Amino acid sequence: MPRFPHLLLTLLTPALCLAQDAPKPVKPTTEVEHKVQQRRRVLVKPAAAAPEATQTRSLLKVNVTAQPYDLHLPWQKQSPINSRGLGVVLEGNRVLVTAQLVADANYIEIEQPDGGQKLAAKVIAVDYEANLALLESSINAEKEKAFFASLQPMGIDTSARIGDAVAVWQTGRVGELIKTPLTISKILTRRYVVEGSGFLVYETTGIIRSEANSFTLPVIKGGKLAGLLLSYDSKNQVTTILPAPIIEHFLKDFADGAYEGFPGLGMEFQVTLDEQLREYLGMKPDSPGVLVSAVVKGASAEKAGLKKGDILLAINGHTIDARGDYQDPQYGPLSTSHIVRGKAYVGDDFELKIIRDGAEQVLKGKLIRKNPDDYLVTPYRFDKGPPYILMGGLLFQELSRPYLDSFGEQQTENSALLRLSHIARHPDDLEEAGRKKLVFLANVLPTPSAQGYDQLGGIVVNKVNGRTIAQLRDLDAAFKDLKGATHVIELDDFPHVLYLDAAAVEQDNQRLQSGAYRISGLKRLE
Amino acid sequence: MTLKSLSLLLVATALVTGRGLAQQDGAESQVPPEWAGIVNIDVSVLFPDYREPWNAGQPSGGSGTGFLIGKNRFLTNAHVVSNATRILIRTTDDPKPHPAKIVHIAHDCDLALIEAENPAPFEKMTPVDFGGIPRLNTEVIAIGYPIGGDRMSVTRGVVSRIDFRPYSHTSVDSHLCIQVDAAINPGNSGGPVMQDGKVVGVAFQGFSGRVAQNVGYMIPVPVIKRFLKDIEDGRYDHYVDLAVSDFPVENPAQHKALGLGDDGVGVMIGDVEPAGSVGGLLKPGDVILAIDGNPVLNNGLVRIEGDLVNMNEIVERKFAGDTIQLSYQRDGKKETASVKLKRFDPYVRLGSQYNQRPRYLVYAGLVFQPLDRNLQDAHQIRDASVNYVFERYLTDKLYVERPEPVVLTSILPDQVNTWLTPYAQSLVDEINGVPIKTLDDVKTALAKKDKPFIEIRLHEKNRPLILKRDLADAAHPRIMQTYNIQEDSYLGND
Repeated sequence: MPRFPHLLLTLLTPALCLAQDAPKPVKPTTEVEHKVQQRRRVLVKPAAAAPEATQTRSLLKVNVTAQPYDLHLPWQKQSPINSRGLGVVLEGNRVLVTAQLVADANYIEIEQPDGGQKLAAKVIAVDYEANLALLESSINAEKEKAFFASLQPMGIDTSARIGDAVAVWQTGRVGELIKTPLTISKILTRRYVVEGSGFLVYETTGIIRSEANSFTLPVIKGGKLAGLLLSYDSKNQVTTILPAPIIEHFLKDFADGAYEGFPGLGMEFQVTLDEQLREYLGMKPDSPGVLVSAVVKGASAEKAGLKKGDILLAINGHTIDARGDYQDPQYGPLSTSHIVRGKAYVGDDFELKIIRDGAEQVLKGKLIRKNPDDYLVTPYRFDKGPPYILMGGLLFQELSRPYLDSFGEQQTENSALLRLSHIARHPDDLEEAGRKKLVFLANVLPTPSAQGYDQLGGIVVNKVNGRTIAQLRDLDAAFKDLKGATHVIELDDFPHVLYLDAAAVEQDNQRLQSGAYRISGLKRLE
Repeated sequence: MTLKSLSLLLVATALVTGRGLAQQDGAESQVPPEWAGIVNIDVSVLFPDYREPWNAGQPSGGSGTGFLIGKNRFLTNAHVVSNATRILIRTTDDPKPHPAKIVHIAHDCDLALIEAENPAPFEKMTPVDFGGIPRLNTEVIAIGYPIGGDRMSVTRGVVSRIDFRPYSHTSVDSHLCIQVDAAINPGNSGGPVMQDGKVVGVAFQGFSGRVAQNVGYMIPVPVIKRFLKDIEDGRYDHYVDLAVSDFPVENPAQHKALGLGDDGVGVMIGDVEPAGSVGGLLKPGDVILAIDGNPVLNNGLVRIEGDLVNMNEIVERKFAGDTIQLSYQRDGKKETASVKLKRFDPYVRLGSQYNQRPRYLVYAGLVFQPLDRNLQDAHQIRDASVNYVFERYLTDKLYVERPEPVVLTSILPDQVNTWLTPYAQSLVDEINGVPIKTLDDVKTALAKKDKPFIEIRLHEKNRPLILKRDLADAAHPRIMQTYNIQEDSYLGND
């Protein structure tokens, strides 16, 4: 699992601070800007030699100690990692941060930037695809009230467009506010962090004077939250921002008590700029539309009847051009994914206009979100340990994308990994055959009952004791249901069959728990 | 005979018996007469170009060693004379180069037999005799023409190890291999390693000093003799294979479940190649008990001539068409079978291949080539699906469906194909509805002119490549000319 980088903040030099905050003779043009000007007059001595920075009552320091599980020794955790970030105070004594910051957190605390008071906090909502999380204090109500009394919730501004000025806010050593002005140069869609997470982003160019690994920095427009910093490419000085519309969607969804997440259509398309392809598909020279090249099983589009080979002309009335873009009223040409991924909610109706066999058709359906647990190969998993069963030295797991990614470059060289990666790219055939998750023999610990098998690893499991294995629970049941003295494990690849002595396995299981490995649990099924 | 030709004859005789004249003078040659047949082989090669397969390739050269084993028959390594455009033999005392040609070449065991165009100069030389397998820690000398000088060189060492090792010429063939610590350097390849005046191996590979010291390898006599016997009928028929993977029985539960006895006999079959000699007969989970009456132990070894060796050694000494008696056990029941041995063809493309023109087909700038080791080495393909098919070709039995996987290796940019260029380095599944199982299928498929479009379906790429037939046909000769391609295909069927 990719480990998110540390969040480090450095102090901007006061001189630079002054250069950015020097009062200018600018007439406030809106009410919001007027307020900002007012605040400046109060806090900054005009023409003072010593610079003073402004404070903010809307940001909190967030300190997290996270400890992800070890994907290869799934009964234990990796070393704890300390991260520091900034959170934005929202209504109801809540704090908004990015999900990256709090993934696999053991301990979270919020800290006042100036006074230094700390309060333990917990996650009350998290969306790893949208990379957002909401925190609340986890101590008693009194302390919480006192802590938040002096804080001011920030509003949200979703109006930003290309060309708008925004500022990244950070806090200094004693809580002074440090602002970096930026201009939004591009608005597009991009993958956030985990697989399958394409959403709207703002992009700005300009230097952020802080460590390159800074996350969860709020981006402010007119005193309101316009986004959270997603990543900063220091080489090209490009900042990618998780924008307010996505934050707003997350908060609105959470507000009704049942968080459902961001829906997706679940389809892949190919652009149709190639004139020969267009002619082949029967598209007229000027007609819009893209070629549907894949439809995800069990997702919204498949349920509405979309098929591979269809030409997609419009989604919810928005025409899709040959590049796969539509005209967004606020953002201009934008990837179609935003229509569903940014604007719509789970349960919303949707409409697809397509061409199939030369005739136009309209497909209708309701938007759903396919749960990560419903994928054959789990795309991501945080806060919970990886499922596994350890049977006398044989370690069985369910395949996940983080597991494959943990091997890095080896994925393209190692034979067993090539096979597993190949399966991860072709889940349909296996799903059709009845598999829910991909159970495989991950590794073999050197125990007496596994004598001779130690070199094996990365092999898919077909059957155990005659039972077909569709998910890890089946494996558990198969081992329990043994009628004889020997477990028979049928594998998809060399050597195709393994035999385990049931009594020897039991003995080894005891030893694994009390002996050198001190394994706390021999299995985790959820 | 005229006076002129008489004088030529006299001169010629003098050259050939140069040594004789020298002896008459009283000096003795450094090189004993029995080594006169150990020759330097000077080769000019043309490395084929798998990136631009319509080009002739890169000229280069090299040299190695060979030795006389019969009447105008010199043994050397296949890798010395592979891809050669000209072979010259030079003897140690005679500077005259003698053109030679390959009689037989065996890439799967890195041996080759060459002969001089003119046998006369070698008629008086004595061929060397072969010994047996030398014992560990006995002395051997390697004779040849390695780097460090031009004349014959002798290095000395002991037999360090006798093992079953990969031969790096193809890298997918393993045979009996003897390790010696006599210095074996570039140029020694193909030369004899001798003990008590007899050849006990052909020096052929080693480790660079940076990796390991004093580790050189020689091809032992059983492999050499098998090669010489194989070619007796005028044709090299290659090694045969059982084409199974054995899985040692070390686990007590496995031992019991397979119903094996206490005698330590029986190795489990972990995988069977359907296209191999026992495809259709054996299956994973079966236990091999004996081959030709030789009991196979739990770890897959058999005892041959007093030594424990890999069970493959038995089949290693067999020839195409030979039969072996297999004794095996399935579900506790003992069975026997007579197995006719054959070469396991699918693995050949996974190793380096030589002495062949790269096969290819170009159409409208799209270059199609068969997937094999030579292609992978030349193109450094990054595509996950191509690499999956190559790496898992045998393990996942992909050769059954694709006897010759075809890759769209490159697209030569032109107006007609400019939208397709991102799809280079993809595996081809189908063209115009014709499944592509070999390169020849591409030619057949493109010849289908029933539709106005050419439709190419690539493996794991979600969009068909489309070319309008008339535009592609018009662009084809233009592209051929621009990119300087003389022939639009070489399918090797001549």
